[in-house]
Amino acid sequence: MNGTHWRLIAVAMVVFVSVLAVACGDDEDDGGEETTATEVEQFPADTTMGKIQEAGEITIGVKYDVPPFGLNNPQTGEVEGFDVDLGTYIAEKLGVEVQTREATSDNRIPLLVDGTIDLILSTMTITEERDLEVDFSEPYYVANGDVLVPEGSDIQSLDDLNGKRVCTALGSTYADTIEKEAPQAELRLVDLYSECFDLVQAGQVDAVSTDNVILTGMVIQDPTLQLLGLDYTTEPYGIGIPEGDTEMKQFVDDTLAEYIDSGTWQEAYDEWVGQYVAEDQQQGPPDITLDEAIALFPLEK
Amino acid sequence: MSEFWEVLQEHLPEFSSGLWVTIRLVVASFLIAMTVGTLVAAMRIAPLRWLNWLGGIYVEAFRNVPLLVLLIIAFSGLPRAGVPIDQWQAGIACLGLYTAAYIAEALRSGVFAVGKGQIEAALSLGLTYPRTMRKIILPQAARTVIPALGSLVLAMIKNSAIVGGSIVALSDLLNQAREVNSDTGQYNEVFFWAAVGFLLLTLTVTLLIRYLERRFEIRR
Repeated sequence: MNGTHWRLIAVAMVVFVSVLAVACGDDEDDGGEETTATEVEQFPADTTMGKIQEAGEITIGVKYDVPPFGLNNPQTGEVEGFDVDLGTYIAEKLGVEVQTREATSDNRIPLLVDGTIDLILSTMTITEERDLEVDFSEPYYVANGDVLVPEGSDIQSLDDLNGKRVCTALGSTYADTIEKEAPQAELRLVDLYSECFDLVQAGQVDAVSTDNVILTGMVIQDPTLQLLGLDYTTEPYGIGIPEGDTEMKQFVDDTLAEYIDSGTWQEAYDEWVGQYVAEDQQQGPPDITLDEAIALFPLEK
Repeated sequence: MSEFWEVLQEHLPEFSSGLWVTIRLVVASFLIAMTVGTLVAAMRIAPLRWLNWLGGIYVEAFRNVPLLVLLIIAFSGLPRAGVPIDQWQAGIACLGLYTAAYIAEALRSGVFAVGKGQIEAALSLGLTYPRTMRKIILPQAARTVIPALGSLVLAMIKNSAIVGGSIVALSDLLNQAREVNSDTGQYNEVFFWAAVGFLLLTLTVTLLIRYLERRFEIRR
């Protein structure tokens, strides 16, 4: 019992010191871990990559309630999913530990801007508007917009959403899309997709609209819900990188290219997404470029 | 600086519709809170043991559960139990009944602040209990509870934002501001105006309370 006690105190002190180290920034030089595995490239200390290596960890902002991309798994207590795997791959390239932090559609950009997280890997669709605030990697996944309804619903098309209560997350692209596609729909904007899931189960909304992969996660949890299979938007996901950090963007893009070329992307896809998707709907790595992705969601005005 | 005005001008419809929803939510909840709060306070001070007890249960239940939890139970739990409830019903009921518990306590303490001798004097003069309450105790109690009620109403206005921020997602001032924010990404500007909106309401109420306090003050 005494042992556990002291171990707890030790852990608390380590946490405290590392928080201090992060808070004090780069004048701390001892950098804890020396994980210089042979293939890890050491980056100059003045680059973001160098600073991350010095800190010994990278913090990625992921969803905690969106299987199969980012889920804080209640059974294991681990945060896992397609986004987490990609973030872990990037961390391994730097030879550092990966830390996750919950980043919702609404708070992920502020968290990146204020430096709480180093990268956004939070099912984030590339849009021109977001591109003004953060830099995007090349697309790493392409999702499609779809609608989820309870069994026996009379909603069969986008048009049917008019006059119906439709849930989506604050800060997602779908608030605008639904306003355009079904202007009479009554939008319910909540923080989390798990709240939309809760509301549609409780019958408080008639439909949920967002990326098909997110909705698929809901169907896995509750098979009485169903997807309409409309695929009415194309949503290429990008990794969010602090605005103007060209070296970091280059590094992330190179790592992503390697992730795809080495077949690791496909392995992750098969593990997280492929098993839930019908045979004829399986997809490979995105064949769309960042510029094409941005053009899909241009600025309004 | 000009960005602040631009955001307001461009999104005035969203801000004003949000403010209007907040006003309606607050007014309706206030009416419920006052009515239920007075009833519960009456139960708490009634000369009947089981009524005291019932009022006590109400106060402890609604005062000791976070408003956010009440909202989730009402909006997400009740429909699963077969009780249909919409956004407005859930928002008004939760905010109103939650605040009512505090109001009941404020009223009760106001009544107890009136000296015991006053009741005894009134009763011994032959006034009935309800008449003693109405003519002697409540007028004096009202004076002492005005500042406390004022704080509770201010707290209620601010708590109303929880209804918009929660799973109920009523399109109140906060919910609208967050939607504008996710459209524009201008956090500081958007939430500055949301704060101004709430200040408009709370400062108006503050002035009203000041007026009432002066109106009922005992001249010394």
